[in-house]
Amino acid sequence: MITPNLSWILVLPILGLGLVCLVGADKTSLIRRISNITVLLPFIYSVWVYAAYDHAAGGFQFVQNIPWVVPMGISYHLGVDGINSLLLLLLGAVSFAAVLISASIKERVKEYYVLLLITIIGTYGAFLSLDIFFFYFFHEVAAVPVFLMIAIWGSQRREFAAMKLTLYLVAGAALALIGLLALYLATGLQTFDLVAIQQQLASHPLPIEVQNRIFPLIVLGFGITLTLWPFYTWAPVGYAEAPTAISMLHAGVLKKMGAYAIIRFAVQLMPQAAHCWMPIIAVLAILNIIYCGLVALTQRDLKYILGYSSCSHMGYILLGLACFNVLGLNGVVFLMFAHGIMAALAFALTGFVVDQTKTRNLDELGGLLKCMPFIGACFMMAALASAGVPGFANFVAEILVLLGSWDQYRWLSVLAIFGLVITAIYLLKAVRLGFHGPLNPRFTRLADAQTLSAKFPYVMLLALLILVGCLPSVILTHIGSSTRVIASEAKQSF
Amino acid sequence: MFPIINWSLISLEVLMAVILVFLVAVDIALPKNAGKDWIGIFSFVALFGLIVFWLTQGDLNGVTFSGMFVMDSLAWFFKGIFLVTMVFVFAMTQQFFKSMGERRNEFYLLLWLALIGMCLIASSADFLLMFISIEILTISLYVMTAYLKSDKLSIEAGMKYLILGSLASGFFLYGISYIYGAAHSTHFDLVQGYCQTHDMAPMTLFAMVLIFSAVGFKIAAVPFHMWVADVYQGAPTPVTALLSVGSKAAGFIVLIRLFFGVFGAWHADWSFMLAVLSAITMTYGNLVAMFQTNIKRLLGYSSIGHAGYLLMGAAAGSMLGASGINFYLLGYLFTNLAAFLVIIVFSIAIKSDEIADYAGLSKRCGLLACAMLLALVSLAGMPPLAGFFGKFILLMAVIKSGYVWLALIAGANIVISTYYYLMIAKRIYVDAPRSTVPIAVAPSMQILLAVAVIGIIMIGIFQGPFLDAAMTAVKGMYLSMKI
Repeated sequence: MITPNLSWILVLPILGLGLVCLVGADKTSLIRRISNITVLLPFIYSVWVYAAYDHAAGGFQFVQNIPWVVPMGISYHLGVDGINSLLLLLLGAVSFAAVLISASIKERVKEYYVLLLITIIGTYGAFLSLDIFFFYFFHEVAAVPVFLMIAIWGSQRREFAAMKLTLYLVAGAALALIGLLALYLATGLQTFDLVAIQQQLASHPLPIEVQNRIFPLIVLGFGITLTLWPFYTWAPVGYAEAPTAISMLHAGVLKKMGAYAIIRFAVQLMPQAAHCWMPIIAVLAILNIIYCGLVALTQRDLKYILGYSSCSHMGYILLGLACFNVLGLNGVVFLMFAHGIMAALAFALTGFVVDQTKTRNLDELGGLLKCMPFIGACFMMAALASAGVPGFANFVAEILVLLGSWDQYRWLSVLAIFGLVITAIYLLKAVRLGFHGPLNPRFTRLADAQTLSAKFPYVMLLALLILVGCLPSVILTHIGSSTRVIASEAKQSF
Repeated sequence: MFPIINWSLISLEVLMAVILVFLVAVDIALPKNAGKDWIGIFSFVALFGLIVFWLTQGDLNGVTFSGMFVMDSLAWFFKGIFLVTMVFVFAMTQQFFKSMGERRNEFYLLLWLALIGMCLIASSADFLLMFISIEILTISLYVMTAYLKSDKLSIEAGMKYLILGSLASGFFLYGISYIYGAAHSTHFDLVQGYCQTHDMAPMTLFAMVLIFSAVGFKIAAVPFHMWVADVYQGAPTPVTALLSVGSKAAGFIVLIRLFFGVFGAWHADWSFMLAVLSAITMTYGNLVAMFQTNIKRLLGYSSIGHAGYLLMGAAAGSMLGASGINFYLLGYLFTNLAAFLVIIVFSIAIKSDEIADYAGLSKRCGLLACAMLLALVSLAGMPPLAGFFGKFILLMAVIKSGYVWLALIAGANIVISTYYYLMIAKRIYVDAPRSTVPIAVAPSMQILLAVAVIGIIMIGIFQGPFLDAAMTAVKGMYLSMKI
């Protein structure tokens, strides 16, 4: 049987990027076609990787390891386990949807696609890397393209939003880098290879006082990417002003890199420190859920509601991390996937609405179901999914997190359930104000998404949400094969 | 007895001197208003020849002129940096002084003199030779800085640079005299032997502070940075480029030779001082750079910030720190030269260095905009560009040496500097252009821009070979200096 070669997931889009660079800036339809294919190919490849991953065997598979900078112990080391094979799938789906809905971009098309492709390549690289250096390297590649894309194609306050988002993320990345370097030096192995470090630390954990110093640096650094309370303020404004594709990618996937890094580098490598810091993280998680949820309640701007909602849901990811058992960790990874798809769907739909109506203000919108029934129906389903209605993937994820946390943090779990009620309130409010009620006469001539190709991205994301929601085992078997290992290592260490 | 001189060690400098004398003769012999830029063309060919010759010298190792002149892998590495810098600076000069006619030829000669000075600095193994070669470099820089006779800013810059530079030279000599008093020699080997056998005394500490103040002047470290902004702004742009890359690198090789080699045994005594200076330097440079409206001034303050980052490597005082400095300088070379190439092409076309005039550059010239963006992002230290890996090693070096607080300050500085670099990027790519007239780029400039950009990307992605070069350079020094 042929096994997938993971490098293709990076090489194919890089080749596509080169092609797009070569095409003249005025041939927009050719650029769009190349970009769509460039993003579709790694998506298909990721599906293959996901399907070919043997979850019974577990561990890292399809590994490639090429020494890169020998004196520092940096290697080009790719591989997937149950967690990142799922995240590749998430990125593939979201990036494909994002590049399809970018058809509405009419200005500076070439620059747009070049920057979008760089962002996507960087994110793929980060999820594929089993080398801490290369994870960081790829994770930072996306920073500048995102800045430029928000600043060029964003809405009114785009320059402010772009700068705020980028500076927060760079600050987080710098903190995380210092933490990772300290970790590298503390292991004394002279290697950035995640697998080697995992093996070493599983048998010889770092002294607890060293762990306790490095752990907060990494968690805080990547926590900023994950909109950890109180460092979330960049996200709502950033997502609101960004062009739709970037809102989708960032809220859906890029911010999950923070959670992924915390699981891989902080929780798994320093379980004792994780144990010490977990109660604090759990409290911060609840602040995320409740505080951001309450802020979302007061918003009248559709994109801000989604932005705060996305920050609020990161609380469940943090809560799941804090309980540190198989159920909770399964919930975390499941939620990363479910929330990624849901957020991308919601931002894509909002982008469509804003494109048509030229406003995000709920007071001006209203009755949109009458003129765009398809988009309205999809938005309602996304809202229901987000509120945790059974049948959608988010329900499974949130139930898993809450089951995991119930024994350890009883009262916090009650508050987290209360957070779901808040979510339901603000999203139903958004649906009522935006899509029900009398139609604003300005909007009677608006068109729905009509062609099949226009509807496809939304249908694809919705289908994924429902499929995974009804058949959670499709992804739970993959997730479980990796989280079991992390949780059992953690158990042994106390 | 007459000492035996190993001419092969010093052949590069001798060749340069021969070329310089030849060019002086050509300059005199050439008729006025000769149609072609003969000296420029010959300089260019000669530089490429020298680079080829330099490539063959990689294995040279030895001491000559009674131990005053050393040729080792460290000197070799830095001579490479200087030669490549000069290729760029000569091409910049050729464009920048196009209208100046005869006076351009004299400028070329001064550049050759500066190159000889820099190469001699790299090979000094004695305080006296080091002092003299620093003067050769600095004096030619004084003249070049004030070269635009009719430009008030240029004259002012030359004056400031001269006064503060002379002061720094004085400090350096004064420091050497104390060293001589203590160690009874100016030879690096002998002084180093003295340092290994004696503890630091107040007198030698005083000498070290004096010497560091002179080095600090060259690398533009706080509090010896006062000249930077005005000189960077006023000097002809090729000189600014030379100051920010070549002269800074020359300062750092002095720093490496003295503080890692000669005073290496006293590492514990001086490393904290350098760590504090590094923190102050980077914070000051980056904070002040935020408020600049002139691009050359901004790069001046940002170069202070980069001196701060580079000093982290010196503060770390380890081999990792020294190779970090080397690698960082290598990346900084291509990055900063790309930025200055853009500035020169832009200022020739628009006659302005104001950042506000860069608005909408991407619509007027895609190549310039793209090169500037890559240079800025590399300066900010983002992957996959050269600036990132340099900062990465330097941060690792300081954390390894226990200065985690310094790494955190550097992290904060990276955020500050990202802000102002991205503000320029925003101007170039987002703002509306003031005029839509396209800017043309001369073919020679296009080639050099391409070389610089490829350099930035290659060093950023294929770090291995460049890091090897940077590490070999200091490994050799550690051997020859017997540490």
